[in-house]
Amino acid sequence: MVDEGSNVPEVLLDVDGVTFGYERQPLLYDVHVQVRKGEMVGLLGPNGSGKTTLLRLVSGVLRPQQGRILLDGRELQDWGRRGVAQRIAVVPQELHVPFAYSVEQLVNLGRTPFVNLLGSNSGQEAIVVQDAMQAADVTPLANRIFNELSGGERQRVIVAMALAQQPKLLLLDEPTSHLDIKYQIDILELVQRLNRERGVTVIAAMHDLNLAARYFPRLLLFQRGVVADAGPAEVLEPHLLKRVYGVDVQVGILRGAQHLSVLPPDSDSIDDEREREGQPQVLVMAGGGSGELLMRALADVNIPFIAGALNIGDSDHTLALRLASAVITEQPYAPISPATLEQVRTSLLRMKLLLFCPMPIGPGNLSLLQEALLATHRGIKVLILAPTVLDSKPETQVVTVDEALQQTGIAKRDYTNGEGVRLVREMLQAGATVVESVVEAVEAILLLASSNS
Amino acid sequence: MRSRVISSGGMRALPAPLLLLALGCVLLVVILIAVSFGSTSIPIGTIVQILLNGTGLFHFTRQWDPSAEVIVWQVRMPGVIGAALVGSALAVAGVLFQGMLRNPLADPFLIGTSSGAALGAAIAFVLPLDTLYGSFFLLTPLLAFVGAVLTVLLVYAIARVGGQTPVVTLLLAGVVVNAVLVAFQTLILTLSPHAQFSIVALFNWLTGGVAVTSWSPIIVVGAIILIGIVFSLTLARVLDAFGLGEEGAAHLGLHVERYKLLIIVVGSLITAAAVSISGLIGFVGLVTPHAMRLLLGPRHRLLLPASALGGAIFLTVADLLGRVVIAPAVLPVGVFTALVGAPFFLYLLRSSKRAYRW
Repeated sequence: MVDEGSNVPEVLLDVDGVTFGYERQPLLYDVHVQVRKGEMVGLLGPNGSGKTTLLRLVSGVLRPQQGRILLDGRELQDWGRRGVAQRIAVVPQELHVPFAYSVEQLVNLGRTPFVNLLGSNSGQEAIVVQDAMQAADVTPLANRIFNELSGGERQRVIVAMALAQQPKLLLLDEPTSHLDIKYQIDILELVQRLNRERGVTVIAAMHDLNLAARYFPRLLLFQRGVVADAGPAEVLEPHLLKRVYGVDVQVGILRGAQHLSVLPPDSDSIDDEREREGQPQVLVMAGGGSGELLMRALADVNIPFIAGALNIGDSDHTLALRLASAVITEQPYAPISPATLEQVRTSLLRMKLLLFCPMPIGPGNLSLLQEALLATHRGIKVLILAPTVLDSKPETQVVTVDEALQQTGIAKRDYTNGEGVRLVREMLQAGATVVESVVEAVEAILLLASSNS
Repeated sequence: MRSRVISSGGMRALPAPLLLLALGCVLLVVILIAVSFGSTSIPIGTIVQILLNGTGLFHFTRQWDPSAEVIVWQVRMPGVIGAALVGSALAVAGVLFQGMLRNPLADPFLIGTSSGAALGAAIAFVLPLDTLYGSFFLLTPLLAFVGAVLTVLLVYAIARVGGQTPVVTLLLAGVVVNAVLVAFQTLILTLSPHAQFSIVALFNWLTGGVAVTSWSPIIVVGAIILIGIVFSLTLARVLDAFGLGEEGAAHLGLHVERYKLLIIVVGSLITAAAVSISGLIGFVGLVTPHAMRLLLGPRHRLLLPASALGGAIFLTVADLLGRVVIAPAVLPVGVFTALVGAPFFLYLLRSSKRAYRW
């Protein structure tokens, strides 16, 4: 897709492996995004997904803890505050101004990065300000007091102020969330016009999926990291939305419309849909990439499954959001909390099969192993996936528990002073079986499914 | 709605330089009137001639009692000029703090200046030196100044967390430190051997009054205040940007934390300088910026110089009233800043055509 052809505009913004969190809680984990000049990108994701944080990182208000953000090939810090403000303008959700500034005075403030703080406004500055007001269609309001305007008018004034910065990149943080529908469309039409006519690159966090589908050719679905990055047709996919937003939606094209629409489900159809899809009966415990092959394989043969508990930021978590029917989620780097463990327990009650992937066992996730053991005792079929061994001898005939234990390789990835090994041994004694490969695991599951029906 | 727009438009139609000029003229007149009143009243014409003679450029023939010259130059002018300086310092500090904190209740004393200065003064009063108020210039004002500056720095240090100084933390730290210092001040006064005398002296000092009778303190304090005010004029655009909130200001390319510290330092220095010769005079720093904002709009380029002039006028008048109303006794200036300032402010608030909102 990304040819080095001459028609492809250069990269304006490069978010390169950015990790950020407050108080040791990673909020964004290893985010990679590239935005080219002239693009119009919508940023989607539920509340708390880190959309606003990403925008604040890009605007230079926050600094990434890891990774870097390049603007025009140069790191944000190197541009300096003023340099960034000469290239990036931000439109917040809402602006409270304590003083009775007039519209023109406020738009004039947008020139701050360009003017000498001592000097007065030159004629040049006044022209830019007038032009910005014209573009945002607020010239008739020039002498009105900002605080006395309606919400929609105010938002247009803020866009005008941002335009006075003559930005290459315009960041909007849910610019329409406080407006009624007329003004929502108003603002987005304005932004679209600026994008098309002036070539301003736009990144906007959006909470309204329909407006996002209508105005943004490229959408980034965000949940602590980029879950999907494509056009509306690919990103606004019901299963994906359900996993990220946690709600069933219908996506389609309304009669006579040109764009996708996302509708909340009818209350009747919620149950129908669940039944049609088939309840997942398989739970996958994974982590650290140990479940990757297995989850892909399950998705390939259309076996619905639940994954968890997985930490946000874990590569298995990101993948599970795409593939699993449901994901039991834990905070980044955090040990499994009692509440999350309770979710695992109740989910296991409905499961026929538990797949235990070869992940490292530490104090943080030892409790998962205990749940797995309880489930084994309850008589659920438990498969322990052996780690992929390159020089594995074929046809090893496992006879004793000790041999099986050896095969799981648990001793090598147990960081709990033998507690993990003990639990796995008990699981094996209680009837858990070791599968050597993903293929073997999938065959076992299919066998179980066919024997049931 | 329509009429509001028109009236506010008309308000702005008055050119800024003209307004400042008008305020300057008012200040001049008020100063002359203030000098003319006192135990012996001196006609304003005479005062003008005496003052112009003092410049060395004019030579009016002396038709007045020679003592008048001494009274004008050595007795009244220092006091009146002192009041004007203190008024403009407090008003400008008020603009700085209200603008930076985006808080209508902010005044120059909010983040510790008052209690720090009071503690410094209290220490000066109980020290076993001859520090009778007015008889010995250096100690009381000096300790008040040092106390005020140190306290603000302490408050700032407490409020600073991880390279940031959130406004709420700053205000709360100010409140807490104020309370602690007031407690210390009470403790010192209670334990001091000649407590009764100290308490009366401190009360007089706290209620405020520009009791300066020589030029030397005026020159020192005046230099600090004038430099501070001129410097704060360069912060006008920064203060405008702070109106958008700290994040908004950062988006406009400003180093928010750096400017915040700068504003606090400038505001506190001129407040401390003012307090050192006047004691604690309330209301000027709170009301003057609001009044000027109602008259001239919120832009700091205009608001700062206008408040400097307005504060000077306000305090000169209050000081005059304090000296005149029950002459020969002198009433504390703070009484009149409140008695004159509050009704005037309420009048402005009520009669303003457009809603005055924060």
